[in-house]
Amino acid sequence: MNTEARLQRAKEILAPFTKETLTPESNRVDIVIDAADLTQATAALKAADWGYLSAITGLDLGPEAGSLEAIYHFCDAAAVTSLRVRLPREGQPEIASVADQVPVASFYERELSEMLGVIVVGTPDPTHLFLPDDWPEGVFPNRRDFKIEDAAPVERDVPKVPEQGRVGNKFIVPIGPQHPALKEPGHFEFAVDGEIITGARMRLGYVHRGIEKATEQRNWIQNLYLLERICGICSHTHTSAYAQGAEKLAQVEVPMRALAIRELVAGLERIHSHLLWLGVVAHEAGFDTLFMYSWRDRETVMNLLEELTGNRVNYSISVLGGVKQDIGPEQSKSIHKAMDYLEERIRYYLDVVTSDAMFLQRTRGIGTMTRDEAILYGALGPTARASGLERDVRVDAPYGAYGKFPVSLITDERGDLEAKFVVRLKELLVSCFTIRTIVDNLPAGELAVRFPRKVPAGETVSRVEAPRGEAFYFIKSEGGESPTRIKIRTPSLCNWTSVINKAVGHQLADMPMMISGMDPCFSCNDRMVTVRRKDDSQTMTWAQLRAYGIEKYKSR
Amino acid sequence: MIATPNLINRVVSGITTWARVNSPWIIHFNSGSCNGCDIEILATLTPYYDIERFGIKLKGSPRHADVLVCTGPVTRQARDRLLRIYEQMPEPKFVVAVGSCGISGGTFAGCYNIVGHIDEVLPVDAYIPGCPPRPEAIIDGVVKLLTHLKNGTRPEPIKPQLGEQA
Repeated sequence: MNTEARLQRAKEILAPFTKETLTPESNRVDIVIDAADLTQATAALKAADWGYLSAITGLDLGPEAGSLEAIYHFCDAAAVTSLRVRLPREGQPEIASVADQVPVASFYERELSEMLGVIVVGTPDPTHLFLPDDWPEGVFPNRRDFKIEDAAPVERDVPKVPEQGRVGNKFIVPIGPQHPALKEPGHFEFAVDGEIITGARMRLGYVHRGIEKATEQRNWIQNLYLLERICGICSHTHTSAYAQGAEKLAQVEVPMRALAIRELVAGLERIHSHLLWLGVVAHEAGFDTLFMYSWRDRETVMNLLEELTGNRVNYSISVLGGVKQDIGPEQSKSIHKAMDYLEERIRYYLDVVTSDAMFLQRTRGIGTMTRDEAILYGALGPTARASGLERDVRVDAPYGAYGKFPVSLITDERGDLEAKFVVRLKELLVSCFTIRTIVDNLPAGELAVRFPRKVPAGETVSRVEAPRGEAFYFIKSEGGESPTRIKIRTPSLCNWTSVINKAVGHQLADMPMMISGMDPCFSCNDRMVTVRRKDDSQTMTWAQLRAYGIEKYKSR
Repeated sequence: MIATPNLINRVVSGITTWARVNSPWIIHFNSGSCNGCDIEILATLTPYYDIERFGIKLKGSPRHADVLVCTGPVTRQARDRLLRIYEQMPEPKFVVAVGSCGISGGTFAGCYNIVGHIDEVLPVDAYIPGCPPRPEAIIDGVVKLLTHLKNGTRPEPIKPQLGEQA
């Protein structure tokens, strides 16, 4: 089915609720609906199996317009259907929760409520999502009239201290935010019965910096460098997604040579990211030899990235309207040489992770997620593909040069940790192949075209496949030198649902592997998630924990 | 020769310094970084750069660590945790701030969830600039710190001059 047919079908499904239909871009349809119809409209799309909920954008139209807008983006291959719900800005803007139909929506809804002040009725957990514990009530950073002075820390009422770390026969094991198994800060609480996990909750937001708001205070070009620093591992993904959206809005035609170079760097980035992941997960399994090996080989691709772009981590190869550096015959030679070495090593790792008996005991049959569960939890990227779910933006909705230099889709039916290794390593072989093809067939032409200082008014959706899954950007311009709103949804956020839900019933010792198995990126999602279960524990705040610790110490 | 308490103290402190300089164990905490610095720190520990040849080991617990390596600006949520980790480390302890964000807030200066840079929260002994710093720069910074430890002095950090903030 092509994009037009998909959009037509969405329009038919949503016809009973439609107030107004807009077609901002050829692959998008925006349907304005009443807040009261939201749950039914979502149910209708879900019943017809039309795509998946990719993100919820909260938009403040400003004090003059006096309204807020919640935009529910559903994606099906290249087609994007957005349900737009208009809400009053003053008083109590209310919207019904869709989390019972789409579990992943609970994160988006909590973000919507705390960032924009929309009350989501019936959402499983209405507490703070990723703002700090000392954030004042009634201050919403994504509102237009937000001032940083309003956000001064306040003392907040906190829940009661639980009786020790024990609830009935269960024991609560806290992990993080600083923990040897976590290279980034995240906090987890596992309720365990013996060795078996019976409940899990997590709190992120330790690296929430407020980037979405910051983009509104910087101009289009400065934002490129700010967004690159959302994540040091997939920095190129973020610049690509942002540049692609801004170029669409500015109607700038980027030369094919530049797009091909962007795809090439994205391929190298995928290699460095997956090799990094391989090392970290091997380390969690106690297989430090593989960790050291894969990180040694990763330096090959780091050196190559440095040779091509001048930087090891934040490459800054993209500029608005094209790329900065060209690839000459000398670079092609080193790329081929590096690929020869990497292909050989990747094949070796593929052999190791599928044949090493000790390692297989830690991966085979652990954390198995079926295809249906992957769909339900809204998994993305290699996490979804390892469960046999064919979901890859590069294939479903080819952007940039992916039409000219396509990649093949790698899936595995098994859904356990071993499958995740196999999928990621096979993807690397595909990336190596694509990189070679691009180098040998680099289209001739300019590297970049001129990009205007002001971008015409409009809204666009830009989707890019990061090493971890689909990154979603919603960019709105009002014709100024800065964007009006940039909404970013990174893939790690969606994948958390699957890990936390699959944790129950596993041994505590498997958790570091399972968490790392989805390749979490805390700096990307910087959000907080809680999965509530029966006989759940209570959370202690820092002040309580400190008081409790002192009390405990004194009473010894 | 009769061992006087003075002599014993000198010998013991000599052994302690020798041990500290030859095996400084580090703990790493990301208080709001983008990961860029963190993966470069990890890269220095792996075979290509191999910082272990200086006796440096990454430890899991603050109680085992001599040096706290911090990355990123300090977010409001991470501030208390960073302080707590610092408090848990045994004396004498040293703090290394890695990356532009740790030094000045970098590109995130002025964001609503940022408390500030690391030396607004903790006393910093060494700054390693860069976005992110190359592994060679990280090794250089750590070795400079070790040189000071050998001489038994606490380094006087030279904070990199900041350019104009955007």
